[in-house]
Amino acid sequence: MNIKELYQEIILEHGKNPRNLRKTDNFNKEAKGNNPLCGDNVHVYLKLNGEKKIEDISFEGSGCAISMASASIMTDLLKGKEELEVKEIVNDFLGMIKENPELESKKLKKDEKTKLMCLSGVKQYPMRVKCATLSWHTLISAIDNTQEEINTEKLD
Amino acid sequence: MSIDNIKKEFPIFNNKVHNNDLVYLDSANSSQKPQSVIDRVNDFYSKEFSNVGRSVHYLAVAATNLYETTRSSVQKYINAKDKNEIVFTKGATEAINLIANTFGQKYLKEGDEILITELEHHSNYVPWHFLRKSKGIKIEFAEVNSDGEVTIENIEKKITSKTKLIGITHLSNVTGAILPIKEITELAHSKGITVLVDGCQGAPHLKLDMQDLDCDFYAISCHKMYGPTGLGILYAKKKWLEELPPYQGGGGMIKEVKKDSISYGDLPNKYEAGTMATAQVIAFDKSIKFLEKIGMENIINHEQELIEYGQEILRKNNSVKLIGNPKNKGAVLSFTIEGVHPHDIATILDEDGVAIRAGHHCCQILHDKLGITASARASLGVYNTKNDLDQLNSSINNCKKIFNL
Ligand SMILES: Cc1ncc(COP(=O)(O)O)c(C=O)c1O
Repeated sequence: MNIKELYQEIILEHGKNPRNLRKTDNFNKEAKGNNPLCGDNVHVYLKLNGEKKIEDISFEGSGCAISMASASIMTDLLKGKEELEVKEIVNDFLGMIKENPELESKKLKKDEKTKLMCLSGVKQYPMRVKCATLSWHTLISAIDNTQEEINTEKLD
Repeated sequence: MSIDNIKKEFPIFNNKVHNNDLVYLDSANSSQKPQSVIDRVNDFYSKEFSNVGRSVHYLAVAATNLYETTRSSVQKYINAKDKNEIVFTKGATEAINLIANTFGQKYLKEGDEILITELEHHSNYVPWHFLRKSKGIKIEFAEVNSDGEVTIENIEKKITSKTKLIGITHLSNVTGAILPIKEITELAHSKGITVLVDGCQGAPHLKLDMQDLDCDFYAISCHKMYGPTGLGILYAKKKWLEELPPYQGGGGMIKEVKKDSISYGDLPNKYEAGTMATAQVIAFDKSIKFLEKIGMENIINHEQELIEYGQEILRKNNSVKLIGNPKNKGAVLSFTIEGVHPHDIATILDEDGVAIRAGHHCCQILHDKLGITASARASLGVYNTKNDLDQLNSSINNCKKIFNL
């Protein structure tokens, strides 16, 4: 595995200029997450409309290129999707990062899959998987309103 | 022994990391082990194993003698007055917890103050926090200056009539600052304040003389001193070990046990309850022999040369920012690269076989003060060379290239 496969241009670009790095006005869901090993943290904000569609999604926080790019790509990709769809996509993404060779969800278009697969390089770097998944776990916590701060050390 | 040949004594360097020679720059976290220490653990288990201090059979007597031999070696190595001032623990963390617990129990009450510094490792803060919760004591922090040092003036500023103990690191595991422990102890003692030194980073890199430093407690981490994991040392002046209550209860630490009364054992047994890390203690004798064979003076000279060289090349590398610029600095080069997060630096360096640490290094208070969440840290051991630092620098350049800097 070449380090350049982990740090692809698209990751570096999203890491440097993260999309949706701000706080959604009038958000109605939110959650915080942190990775105590790195000291990285993320705060995800959501605005779901009456039809449970994501009208806006954003995040605040700081972290490595992988975690910032992952949050950036995630928020970019999920805007406009429905809550149930979102959950399926998140699970698909987490499954891919953990073990599945490919993304399987029918809810994802081909170009969306290509975008997410840019993050698949972290599979080869077990210590960095948490950087890629933190914002995704935090998003689920926001949707479910668990009011519980996501701590990557308590996830498996 | 020539310092250039020392790497040969460490078998880990025979292995490749991602097909590259290992450049190990994480000794502040834990040092590598020389063959003599590794062999000693193996030999003890293979040929000499028994529990210590409990049976009269041949092996038990021999093991007990070996165990006590290490205690004597440590006493000499750190120039403690008495062999029984050396207590074995599971690590420096346990040594500090032992003091926070027993000293706290006996001498601290609500409103009393413990003075630590903004440089402290979490293991010299959290144990005191427990007392803040349970007893309502206060914790004060002596300020770190812009060079990453804590001056004696900044310590004096925070001393009040309520200060009962000063807990302070000997050598910062982030900025590398070496603190003037002897002067701080003098000041503290003149005001009746007890001093605990976190010597985790001091012990592997500085000449230790407990009678000269005159501190009350000194915590050592053996795994950072070319020794086995699972072992630490608490040095404590004898009067304290006699006065303080025991820490853990169990076998080995008692004199007599009745249904209605228990008396505790003499030193050092009073503080060594249960079966100890026997093989590790016995093997640690070889770590001390290793350090003595090279000589602390040679180690200091070698590491000073490296630290100066390291600072010089990293300062020349634009976009690298060194953390702290202490006048007395040992063994640690922490840095950031504008535009690259420390975790990305560490992953990219690792690909070249360069092992550093990224994160807050258990010093969140200090990183908050610096206004960063994490830093990258290259830390030195006796086996490092200028070549290692050149490799560090060229891997940093590679990292900058990947990030288009
Ligand atoms: C300054 C300092 N204090 C305390 C510790 C903890 O030592 P140990 O691992 O022996 O418990 C460390 C090591 O991480 C350290 O660097």
